Amino acid sequence: MNTVVPDGEQPFSGLDDPPVEATVLRMMLGGQLRRLREAAGITPEQAGFEIRASRSKISRLETGRVGLKGRDVRDLLTLYGVTDEAVENFLALVRQSNTPDWWAKYNDILPGWFEPYLGLESAASTIRSFEIQFVHGLFQTEDYARAVTRPGRKGAPAGEIEDWVRLRLSRQALHARQKPPRIWSVMDEAVLRRPVGGAAVMRAQLRHLIKAAAMPHVTLQVVPFSRGRHAAESGSFTVLRFAERDLPDVVYLEQLTGAIYLDQRSDVEQYLEVVDELSGEALTPDASTRFIEQVARET
Amino acid sequence: MTADEAPPADGSTGRVKPPGFDISVANQARMYDYLLGGKDHYTADRAAIDAQLAIYPDVAFAARANRAFLGRAVRYLAAEAGIRQFLDIGTGIPTAGNTHQVAQEIAPASRIVYVDYDPIVLAHARALLISHEAGATDYIDADLRDTDAILDQASELLDFGTPVAVTLIAILHAIPESDDPHGIVGRLMDAVPPGSHLAVSHMGTGLLDSTTRRGLEDHSDRAMQQRLTARSHEEVARFFAGMDLVSPGVVRVEDWRPEPGAGAGQSVLWGAVGRKP
Repeated sequence: MNTVVPDGEQPFSGLDDPPVEATVLRMMLGGQLRRLREAAGITPEQAGFEIRASRSKISRLETGRVGLKGRDVRDLLTLYGVTDEAVENFLALVRQSNTPDWWAKYNDILPGWFEPYLGLESAASTIRSFEIQFVHGLFQTEDYARAVTRPGRKGAPAGEIEDWVRLRLSRQALHARQKPPRIWSVMDEAVLRRPVGGAAVMRAQLRHLIKAAAMPHVTLQVVPFSRGRHAAESGSFTVLRFAERDLPDVVYLEQLTGAIYLDQRSDVEQYLEVVDELSGEALTPDASTRFIEQVARET
Repeated sequence: MTADEAPPADGSTGRVKPPGFDISVANQARMYDYLLGGKDHYTADRAAIDAQLAIYPDVAFAARANRAFLGRAVRYLAAEAGIRQFLDIGTGIPTAGNTHQVAQEIAPASRIVYVDYDPIVLAHARALLISHEAGATDYIDADLRDTDAILDQASELLDFGTPVAVTLIAILHAIPESDDPHGIVGRLMDAVPPGSHLAVSHMGTGLLDSTTRRGLEDHSDRAMQQRLTARSHEEVARFFAGMDLVSPGVVRVEDWRPEPGAGAGQSVLWGAVGRKP
C-alpha cells in the first residue's frame, strides 16, 4: 500500500486487516489528516476555507468526533499535496469508517454531545471510571436505569424514557463480546448507599454489581466513607483507552446539558493521576465485592 | 504492613518506605511501561527516558530484551523444568506476556503470586492480571526487603512443599548493598524446596563503559524514585550460590536461550536462571 504518512511513521492498518471499529478508524484517519495538514504547513483556517467549514469543524474532523465526507477528504488531501493511489486508499478507509453505528436508531433522542461517547465506548479497549453518584451505565439494571433517567426528563413522553433505557441497556452488549474491553470502575460508597428507585430496585442493582464484578473483564473497587477525603475532587469521569498505540486516551466528563471530551495529554494525565490514586486508595476488588454484599444486606 | 509501622528490630539499615504515588518523580515501573509501548506513564517518566536515551541510546532495546527474557525464562520454567508455582517479585505495570499468561499458556493450572511495593502498580496488577480459571493469581503489597511478609502471605496460595520459581526481574539493582541483596535472595531461596528455581535480570557493570554506567546511576539518583546499582557478573552469579545455573549461565538477557527475531541492540542487563538442587 502506498504510504500517505509523513516522517516515516507506520501507515494505519489497511483494508486487509480485520475490521476496525468505525470510531477508531475515524480517529486514526483524523489524526492522519492532521499530520498531513501540519506537514504541508497549512493552518486549520486555511483547511476549513478549502472545504467551506470552520476551524472547529476541522478540529472535530481531525479528532474523529464527526464522520468524514469523501468529497471533503479528497479536497483536503489535494490541498495537502497527496495524490493518486494514496488518495484512493484513504477514501476506501473513509467509506469503511462510515458504516452505520449501532445506535443510529436512537438518533431522535440522542443529543449531539453524547453520540461521540457511544462510539468511543464501543471502540475502547480499556474503560476506567470513577463514579460518585450513580452506578456506571454499563452496570445498571433496567429498573435502576429507568429510575435514573426519569427525573432528568420530566414531561418527556414515556416512549422517550423507554428509548433512553433501551439505549443504556444496548451499550451493555459489549459485556457479551468475544473479547470485551477491560472495564475498571472505582466508585464512592455513596453510589452504593443512595437508594435510587427505592430499596428493592437498589438491592437488585447491588446484586447485579456483585455479579458484574465476577466477570473476568470487570474490576470494581469501592472507596468507603471511612477512607475520608479522597483524590476525586473532580466528580465522576470516564477514561477511554484504545488498543492502537497512536490513539490518545480520551476523558469524558458529562454535564447536565453537554459533555467535555479531553484528549490532550496534559489534561488526560491529571485524570489518570486521580484514577490511579483512587484505585490505590480504594478497597481491593475482593474486599470491594464483600463490601457491596454487606451494603446489599443493609439496604 | 503500613508505611508508618516501626522498622523491624533486626537492625536492618536503609529500609526504604514504599514510594508514595508521585507523578512528579520518574518511576521505574512507569518508565518501563513507556518503553514497552504502554500508556500508563506521566511527563516526568518520559522526561527521564529522554535523559537516559542521551546517556545510553539502547534503553528501549534493553526494556524489550528484558521483557523477552522474562517470557523465555518463564516458558523454560513451565515447559522444561515443570514448574507450576511462581513468585513474581517486582511485578511492574501489566503489559503483554505477563508471568501468569506465559505460564498458564503451558500449564493452565499454574499459580502465580505477584508482589510489588508500589500500591498503584499493585492496583493495576489486581485489575489486569486475571488468572486462567484453572489456575490462580494473588497479589501481595510488600517490599522485596521484607522477605518474611512476602513468604508468609505467598504461602496462602503457594505450596512451599513443591518447587517454586522465584522471579526477580530488573528489581535487584534497585536494592543497594546496604540492604544486603544477597541476603534477601538467600532467605527467599532457603524457604523453597529442592527443585525450585530462581530467575534474575540485573543491570550489569561489565556491560557498560564506566562513563555510561555512572551516567545512568547518577541520573537515577537525581531523577528517579528508585536508585539503581549496577553489579558485576561475579556479583550476579553469587545470587545463585549453592544452585546449579541453567545453561548458558549468566549472560546478557538477549543472549539467554535466544529465539529468532529478537532485533539488534545491546542490553545492559545480566540474565540467568538457576535450580536449587
